[in-house]
Amino acid sequence: MQLSFTSLIPLLPFFLSPVSASTAPAAADYHEQLNLKPLPQNSLLASFNFRSNTSLPEFEAHNFRFFPRSLGQILQHAGTRELHLRFSLGRWDAETWGARPWDGTKEGGTGVELWAWLDAESDAEADQKWLTLTNALSGLFCASLNFIDSTRTTRPVMSFRPEGDHPNTTMDNMHLLHGVLPREVVCTENLTPFLKLLPCKGKAGVSSLLDGHKLFDASWQSMAIDVKPVCPVGEECVLQIEQTIDMVLDIERSKRPRDNPIPRPIPGHELKCNTTKPYHAEDTCFPTDSLNAQEWTLDQIFGKHMLGNCPLTDPKTPPVCIQAPHSRDVFTSMDVQELKESGNENQRCYLLPSNEEEFHLALPFMPRDGDRPKTDADEFVQPATPLLYAERSLTGHGQEHGGVQAILTNPSPDSEVEFVYMESLPWFMRIYLHTLKARISHRTGSDAGQTLRDDDEVIQEIYYRPFLDRKRGTQLEIRMKIPPGSTVFMSYDFEKTILRYTEYPPDANRGFDVAAAVITILPSNSTAAAAAAVGKVARTSNLRTTGMLLNLPTPDFSMPYNVIIFTSTCIALAFGGLYNILVRRFVGRDEGPEVSLVKLRRRLQEAVQKLKGRIQEKLGVASKEAKKLEAKSD
Amino acid sequence: MCGSTATASALFVGRSPTLQKAPPYISLLLILVGVAWLFMLPLNDYSRRTYISENALLPGQVHTYFGGSDQNVLRAYRHEVGALENNTNTEVNDKLEHMFRSMGLKVGRQNYTYTTSGNTIAGENVYAILQAPRGDATEAIVLVAAWRNVKGEFNRNGLAVALALTRYFKRWSLWSKDIILVVPPDSRAGTQAWVDAYHDSHDSRRVADLPIKSGALQGAIAIDFPQEERFEGVHIVYDGINGQLPNLDLINSVTNIASGQMGMGSSIQNMFHHNDEYRDRLTCMLRGMVNQGLGHAVGPHSSFIPYHVDAITIQPVGQGWHDEMGLGRLIEGTFRSLNNLLEHLHQSFFFYLLMQKERFVSIGTYLPSAMLIAANFTITAIALWVKSGYAPKKTTGATAKEAKVDVIQEKKEGADTKKAMRESPEDLQPTVERELYLPLSLVTGCQFLGFVPLFVFNHVPSSLLTPLFIMTTLLSLTLPHALSFFLVTTYKPTHQQYQLITSFFLLLLGMFLSTLATLNFSLAFLVGLLATPLTFVHPFRLVSKLPAAGYAYSALLSLLNPGVVVLGAAVATLHSGMGLGLAGLDLTPWEAIQKVLEESAFGWGVWGMYTPLIFWCVWFPAWVVGSVVVLG
Repeated sequence: MQLSFTSLIPLLPFFLSPVSASTAPAAADYHEQLNLKPLPQNSLLASFNFRSNTSLPEFEAHNFRFFPRSLGQILQHAGTRELHLRFSLGRWDAETWGARPWDGTKEGGTGVELWAWLDAESDAEADQKWLTLTNALSGLFCASLNFIDSTRTTRPVMSFRPEGDHPNTTMDNMHLLHGVLPREVVCTENLTPFLKLLPCKGKAGVSSLLDGHKLFDASWQSMAIDVKPVCPVGEECVLQIEQTIDMVLDIERSKRPRDNPIPRPIPGHELKCNTTKPYHAEDTCFPTDSLNAQEWTLDQIFGKHMLGNCPLTDPKTPPVCIQAPHSRDVFTSMDVQELKESGNENQRCYLLPSNEEEFHLALPFMPRDGDRPKTDADEFVQPATPLLYAERSLTGHGQEHGGVQAILTNPSPDSEVEFVYMESLPWFMRIYLHTLKARISHRTGSDAGQTLRDDDEVIQEIYYRPFLDRKRGTQLEIRMKIPPGSTVFMSYDFEKTILRYTEYPPDANRGFDVAAAVITILPSNSTAAAAAAVGKVARTSNLRTTGMLLNLPTPDFSMPYNVIIFTSTCIALAFGGLYNILVRRFVGRDEGPEVSLVKLRRRLQEAVQKLKGRIQEKLGVASKEAKKLEAKSD
Repeated sequence: MCGSTATASALFVGRSPTLQKAPPYISLLLILVGVAWLFMLPLNDYSRRTYISENALLPGQVHTYFGGSDQNVLRAYRHEVGALENNTNTEVNDKLEHMFRSMGLKVGRQNYTYTTSGNTIAGENVYAILQAPRGDATEAIVLVAAWRNVKGEFNRNGLAVALALTRYFKRWSLWSKDIILVVPPDSRAGTQAWVDAYHDSHDSRRVADLPIKSGALQGAIAIDFPQEERFEGVHIVYDGINGQLPNLDLINSVTNIASGQMGMGSSIQNMFHHNDEYRDRLTCMLRGMVNQGLGHAVGPHSSFIPYHVDAITIQPVGQGWHDEMGLGRLIEGTFRSLNNLLEHLHQSFFFYLLMQKERFVSIGTYLPSAMLIAANFTITAIALWVKSGYAPKKTTGATAKEAKVDVIQEKKEGADTKKAMRESPEDLQPTVERELYLPLSLVTGCQFLGFVPLFVFNHVPSSLLTPLFIMTTLLSLTLPHALSFFLVTTYKPTHQQYQLITSFFLLLLGMFLSTLATLNFSLAFLVGLLATPLTFVHPFRLVSKLPAAGYAYSALLSLLNPGVVVLGAAVATLHSGMGLGLAGLDLTPWEAIQKVLEESAFGWGVWGMYTPLIFWCVWFPAWVVGSVVVLG
C-alpha cells in the first residue's frame, strides 16, 4: 500500500509507473483518492483518481466486476489493446501553477482527444476497428467522437509509447491511432457517463463530490480514461482502468452559492482596503492583494458533502489527501484518522472510518498580520518549475497566408531538455515545410541576451506526413533539444485553402479550431539511467499548447441564395423560349395544318379556280368546236 | 462593359452629329445627378433605420452589476492614476504593471519608436490579459484606455474606469473570450504599434514584438474620458484608417445599450444636438464623409479596423447626471454582448453612411453617387478618343496633316450606290491616324511627377513643411503655364493631340476614382467633385480662338488647385470647428497648415494612410495636365 500510495503523489518530476512500482495489486481491486493541492493566486487543484483492475482471463470471459461492462464490451469488440480518452477544457497556467499534475500524462488538448492501440493485421483493418471504436465511444460518452474521420486521424510515430505491458507477440500487430476534436465542448453530458463507469457511480466516496456545475466552472479541467494491461513481475496480468479528473478551482468563484452565482459587489465595509493610502476614506478603497489568503471548506468549493467511503474501495487507501505545508491549519470531522508520511513533509492523508456518513474538511483563514503572522509559505507548497514552457500562436493576417509560432522555453539553469513536438493540422492549412525555422535566444552563456539566431542544432529529427486534400491532415513530429536557459522560437508558414461551399461548418465565420500541439518530453539521460538501474523504464511527461482559431476566407453565405434566385430567374426567362424552340417542330408553311380562316380563303380560292376552270373549259370546248367548224368550213 | 460602350459610341458618335455633341452634356448630367443623389440620401425614402442584424449580440438583455463597492475601488484608482499624471511613461507602466499583477492578470510591455517629419515618437505600451476563466486563448476582446486621448488630454477617468472594470470582470466566470486591457501612452502611435505587433505585421526595427499574446481579436472598445464632471451622454467615434468602418452592429449595440438600458443619450460625428431633420442628417453625413475622406485616425480604435477588428471609441460628453459607473455599466453591457458572439461580426454592414445614430444608407444606395461622378470622366475620355480618330469637319485641305489623312475608301464607293446616295458627304468624316507619342509622354510624365512631392512631404522635417508646401503650391500654379509655353513653342500640338491628352488623363482619373469609390467612397466623391471642371477642359486658344477664355478657365482651375484647396480648407476649418482634427485648437493658419501636413506624413508613415497618395498621384497630375490643355 505504501508504494502505490506514493505513486499517487502527483508532481514528482519523473514519477514511475504506479503499477510497475507497486509490488502486489490484487487481481481485482478498486482504489479511489482525492488529492487536494492549494495553488498560488487563490486556486486549488483537485485530482480525483479512480483505479480498478480485472484479471485478463476474467475479462476475456466477460466476467466484469469493477471494470465497467459497457466499456469492456466495446474494447473487446474493437480489438483495443490500450485506450486513452481525454476530455479537457481551459488552460493550465504554468507560470503560476507550475508543473502539471501527473506530469501532464493525464490531460488532453482542449476538446476531446483519443488514442488507442488496436490489434489488427493491416492498416485497413486498423482503420475499420478505429471506426468501430470511435462510433461506439461516441455513443457511450455523448461526445461527437464519430467525427474523428480519416482527416483527423493520425498515426504518431515518435510521440506516444504504449504505457501498459504488452508481450512482444502482440506488439507487432498493434496499431496506434490518434484523433482530436478541438471544437468539442466538454460538458455535463460527458461527466454523467463518466461517473456511471465508476463502481460507486457518484453516490458515495470521493466521487460524490463531483458536480457538473463546479467541475465545468473550473479554470482548467481534464477528465481522463486510461485502459491498459499491466503485468506485475511474477503475477498474472491484469487489465487496469484508471479514471482521472483534475481540476483547478478558483476558490473565490467556487465558494459562491449555487443559487446566487452572480459576483455582485460586496458591501463597502467588507472590502479589504489598503488603509495606508493617503486618500483612504469611507468611500475610497484601494483593494489589497486579497489573492493569497485562502479560506475554504470541502463542501463550500464542491457545493456538496462528501458521502463517506465508497464501500467497494480498498479500505487501506486514504480517500482524501491534501498537499499543503504542515504549518497550514486543516480541520476535519471527528474520528478521522490523519496520516502524515515521514518522507513527505507536505502531504497529509485522511482515513475515514467505514461508518462515516459525511466527511468535512476545512481550511481556515490564516491572518497575515497580528502576533503570529503567516506567509505564503505556510499557505501552499511552492509549485515545482515545469520542465518546459510552451506557447503557440498564429501570426500574420489576411485571407491568404498565415504562420504559426511556437515559443518553447527551457527554464532549467543546468539541464537541457529533449522532446517531441507533434502537430496534427487540418488539411486546409497547407503548411510549407521549407519555412520551418527554429531560432534560439540564450538567457545564459556567452551569447546571453543576444538577438535570435538560426540554429540547426535545435531540431534533431523531423517526421512529416503531408496532407492530402480532403483525405488526411498534416502530421508533423519534430524532435528537438533545447539547451539550458534558452528559448526557441519555432515558426512555419502556411497557406489557407478556399473550401467548398458545403464544407464550412455552421457558424462558419467563427473560424476553424486547430488542435493543440502535443509535446512529449523525453526522459533525460541521467533519469533514464537512474530508472534503468532499478529495472524500470523512465517515463515521459507531456505538455499541450492551447488551441488556435484559424480564419479561412469565408464566403458571404447569403450570396449563394442571391445567386440561386438570380439564376432561377434567368432560367425561368430563358427556359420558356429555349423549350419552345426545342420542342417545336418546324414545317413549311404549306405542310402544316391550316387555320380555319386560311382554310376558308383557300377553299374559296379553290372554288373560284374550279369555277374559272370550268368556264374556261366550256369556253375552250366551244372555241374548239368553233375551230372545228371553221376547219370544216375551210 | 466599357469596351462595349466604346465600340457602341465609336459606331454612333462618328456618324451622328447630334451624338457627337452629346458627351459634354451627358457628363454634366452625370455630375448633377451624382451630386443630387447625395443630397437625396438623408430623405426618409432613401435611408433606413438601423437594426441589430446579429442575433447573438442581444444588446441590453443582461443585467449589469458594476456598481456598489466597486465605486470605492474606482475612486481609489482615480487617485492612483491622477498621482501619476506627471510621471514618465516607464514609471507609469511600472505602477500599472504592479496593479495588473496584483489583480492576477498576465502583463506584457512593448516599446515602439516611430520617426515622421523629423520628429521621433517613442513610447511603451503596457497591456494585461485577463484569461477567460474557462477559455483556451482562441479569441479575445480588447479594452483600450490610452494615457492621453487624440487631443492630448489626460484620460484620467477613462483609465480608472478601465482598471476598476477589469478588476470586476475578473470575478465573472462567464467570459468565453480573453479580455485584453491595453494602455498606450498616446492614442495615435501606441495602439497602432500594438495592433501591428499583435498581427505580426510590424517592422521590428521600430516596434518590438509582443511578449504574450492571446487569440483572434473579435472586437475593441476604447474609452476616452478626460472630463472630470458627470456626463450627459456618450459620443461614439467609429471612423477607421482610410475610411474603413467597423461593423454597423457594434455601433448599434452600443447605441442600443446606452439609450435602451442606461438612459444615456448617444451621438455621433460631434452632432450633440441632432433633431433628426433633413438639415441635421445632411450635416452629420457630410461630417462623416469628411472624416472618412481624410482617412486619418480619429481615436485609439482606428488602428484596429484595418485588421478587420471592429472597434469604436466611447467618449462621455456634456453635463448630466451619469457618472463613471454608468459608463462602466455601458462597457460591461457591450462586453457581455461581444462575449455572446459565436462568430466574428459579419452580419451587418461594413460600408455605410450614418446620418443619425439610428439612420443609415448602405453602399448599394450611396455608391452610384460617386460612381456617376467618376463615370463622367470616363465618358468624356471615350468620346474624345473617338473624336480624335476623325479629321476635323472643316478641313481646309491646306494643312500639313493632309498627307496623313486617310480617307476611307469603303465598299460604299462602287457597288453599293444606294447607301452612298443616302448619306450626305458631310457625314462621311475621314478617319485619321492618332499621334500618340506626345500625349502619352505628357500624361505619363505628369503622373510620375506626383511621386516627387509625395516623397518630399513624407520625409521633410516638420519645420520645413509649411514653407515648402506653399512653395510647391505656387510652383504648381505656374507649372501649367510653363509647360504649355514649352509645348506650344517646341511641339506645336495639334487639336487632335490635345484631345488625346485630355482623353488619357480623364481616362486615368475616371479609372482611379471608380476603383477608389468602392474602397473609400467619400475620398473618391470629394476628389471627383473638386476635379469636375477638368471634364470640360478644351484648348481655347487653338480651337475656339479665345485665349481670354482660356485664361479665365485657367484661373478657375487655379482656385481648385489641390494645394490651394488644402490651404483654404486648413484655414477655413480653423474656426468652423470641423474636419482635419483642428477643431478647438488655438492655432495660427501657418501652424494649422503644418498640423495638416504633419498629420498626413504621420498617417503615411505610421498608419499606412493612402490619402497623400491619392492627393499627389491622382488628383495633382490630373489638375496639371488639365490646366495645360486649357492654356493650349
